[in-house]
Amino acid sequence: MRLRASLLALAASLGFSMATPVAAQDSLRIRLNADIRSTDPGVNRDANTDGLMWHVLEGLVALRGDATIAPMLAERVDVSADGLTYTFPLRRDVRFHNGQSLTSADVAFAMERYRKRETNWRCRGDLDGAVTRLTAVETPDPHTVVMRLERPSALFLTILARTDCGQAGIFHRDSLNADGSWRAPVGTGPFRLGEWRRGQFVELERFAEYAALPGAPDGLAGNKAPLVERVRYTIIPDDAAARAALLAGNIDVLPDARTRDLPDLRARPGISVHSSPSFDLQIILMQTTDPVLRDVRMRRAIALALDVPELVRAVTEGSSRPSRAPIPVGSAFHTPAMSEVPARDLAAARRLAQEAGYRGQPIRIVTTRRYEAFFEIAVLAQGMLREAGINLELEVLEWATQLQRYTRGDYQMMAFGFSARLDPSLSFEMFTGPKATEPRKAWDNPEMQALLEASMRETDPARRRATFEAMFGQLMQDVPVIALYSSVTHAVTPAHVQGYRTWAVDAPRAWGVRVQR
Amino acid sequence: MLKRLLVALPTLLLVAASVFFLMRLIPGDPATIILGDAATPDSVADLRLAYGLDRPVLVQFALWIERAVGGDLGRSITSGEAVGPLILQRFQVTAAIVCASVGLAVLIAVPLGMLAAWRQNSWGDVAIVAAATFLLSIPSFWLGLIFLLVFGLWLGWVPVVGYVTFAEDFRGALHYIALPVATLALIETGVLIRMARASTVEVLRLDYIAHARAKGVPEWRVLARHAFPNAFAPTLTLIGLIMGSLLGGIAVIETVFTLPGLGRLLVEAIFARDYPVIQGVMLFIAVIYVMVNLVVDLLYPVFDPRVTAG
Repeated sequence: MRLRASLLALAASLGFSMATPVAAQDSLRIRLNADIRSTDPGVNRDANTDGLMWHVLEGLVALRGDATIAPMLAERVDVSADGLTYTFPLRRDVRFHNGQSLTSADVAFAMERYRKRETNWRCRGDLDGAVTRLTAVETPDPHTVVMRLERPSALFLTILARTDCGQAGIFHRDSLNADGSWRAPVGTGPFRLGEWRRGQFVELERFAEYAALPGAPDGLAGNKAPLVERVRYTIIPDDAAARAALLAGNIDVLPDARTRDLPDLRARPGISVHSSPSFDLQIILMQTTDPVLRDVRMRRAIALALDVPELVRAVTEGSSRPSRAPIPVGSAFHTPAMSEVPARDLAAARRLAQEAGYRGQPIRIVTTRRYEAFFEIAVLAQGMLREAGINLELEVLEWATQLQRYTRGDYQMMAFGFSARLDPSLSFEMFTGPKATEPRKAWDNPEMQALLEASMRETDPARRRATFEAMFGQLMQDVPVIALYSSVTHAVTPAHVQGYRTWAVDAPRAWGVRVQR
Repeated sequence: MLKRLLVALPTLLLVAASVFFLMRLIPGDPATIILGDAATPDSVADLRLAYGLDRPVLVQFALWIERAVGGDLGRSITSGEAVGPLILQRFQVTAAIVCASVGLAVLIAVPLGMLAAWRQNSWGDVAIVAAATFLLSIPSFWLGLIFLLVFGLWLGWVPVVGYVTFAEDFRGALHYIALPVATLALIETGVLIRMARASTVEVLRLDYIAHARAKGVPEWRVLARHAFPNAFAPTLTLIGLIMGSLLGGIAVIETVFTLPGLGRLLVEAIFARDYPVIQGVMLFIAVIYVMVNLVVDLLYPVFDPRVTAG
């Protein structure tokens, strides 16, 4: 006691006080593990940028929690019978952060900028022939937008709603400088951009005139009413420091707690842990042109030698469900057949490897320490394959180097992870395609490529589901990849934070959240 | 002095060229990182074009050097910010922490080192040397996390995360830099104690010290007036090297304490292959080294008149 009293006296003499609050009572403080890249939606971006900007900008449509599409700035979406014309009647009550009302001219202005090559919008290619071609954006009246496509596409609205596309967020022309360059977002979202102190924090302010939709919050759609005056994203790169900041009361939301910290956090009074399966995919890629791995029997041997449920349990400490399908477990297109994980069969693995002419030559698996899961997957796979006589060697690279090797298809095997894909076509598209033009693609099967393209055109859910089941069946035969699991996002909040929810995309949402200290 | 600065120019050019070309030899490029797992050959090519990375490397180097000579270090590929102001902004944070830590470390280490030397081989000497060895063996991130745990979490004396400048809020800034300064100061104290002790032991063996003692000069005066100036000179060289090294970035400390300093900027830029930022920071660090060593060389004669500044 005397020591503590002395230390307190010493601290007081040095001008220290008990932990000072760094933000007002009506503010929500969220951990961000790295600074955002820019405020230009879908252009210079990463997951943190997308997750922050969806508070500021909204698109015509938005993702629901189950990854289906809902109207956002549009009242509804009318699609013509031939699937080539999309009509978006706009909501009348929407205002930009500068007080101006939303009109169809604003939508046309924003879409025109996205479609320009020099903008470098991430999804320009998808609307310029890769998925479909957006041929015209028309404004028949101030409250109606019409978009015309060259060919029908089941993915058109998904592209407009994709978070990595910045949700094709509609911004006011005041967002741009006179020369057309990006200045700062003037959007319609529930929060407007406040101070951005690079490397330290980004602050959002409540948009008092925000026109919230009725009902409940749902993904990035539904009721997004802001309930706190201010949201401060504090940049804390170190996980241990972030956890300490939460427990010390310096932040209110730890949106990405480490799995290994959860038992301790759950045991603390007043701490809530929120968990949701994500739509990402952890996977092992195999190079099908490699001299050892081009024989499908060898790839099947590797798949049979892996104890996928045990591997997933070990890596995620039991929080994720193993699945060999690329379509996430939470997707409406994930069928029961996709949930079946073939049992490990070491004898069959050995036999197949022998038939493929494998003689114990080393196979290198590329991985990185940047993402612990990738490394752990590679280490566990090495151990499991050894039991089947398959000699896997680890090649541990820095992340940027691994990413370049992935882009070039320069690997035998690779422990990898794909960010969330919100449409099942995109779940297959991420590794399916011709290697000649896109070396990063693992599955170069023209028939499956044709099926994939058909799935992108097909708008009937039942037919799409059948297509994906057929593709999954073939995937299990060809084994160009071994899908393992979708990770689970764990967020942690103290008792004074109410209404916080995690969801399929692992970035926080500040609307609908109340702070009552 | 001007001559010495001119002599440094080839060094700086060499640093600039080495950093520029070595970074291009490392696999991974900014366009691939920005586009991530969805990079297509077309989108990578578009982005490389936008950042001027499609040009021949020699052309890129010539353009960068030309602009750098004019004071323009380019713009960050990641954030689009001008690199020069970005470096200065981040350097202020690092400099405040490093100057305070090294100053504190000197104030603690030099008297302790001299005391240990004066009482060489006594229990006091053994205790000080052991403490110094212990301090310099502690990893800075570990000590930082322990400080965060004890003073931030358990005692709640200081915030665990955040930063404000002294200009904004003097008292608030003290709160935020207290732990990083204490962490760094303790570790550097270990290094400096050993140096101060070693140089004092050598000086105390010299004839002029024995002569002073024979004349009946009080022991405190022997130490302060006669031993200190000569013993401090080598320590000053080490302080210069430490300052140069730390001012170039204390990435680990900055990461643990979430400080927006130069080290974190450099590490993040390397991970993102943000070439203009890496080149700018490395050039700036080289300039800092040159300047700090120049200051040390100019100060040296003050403590050891046998050495001339010229």
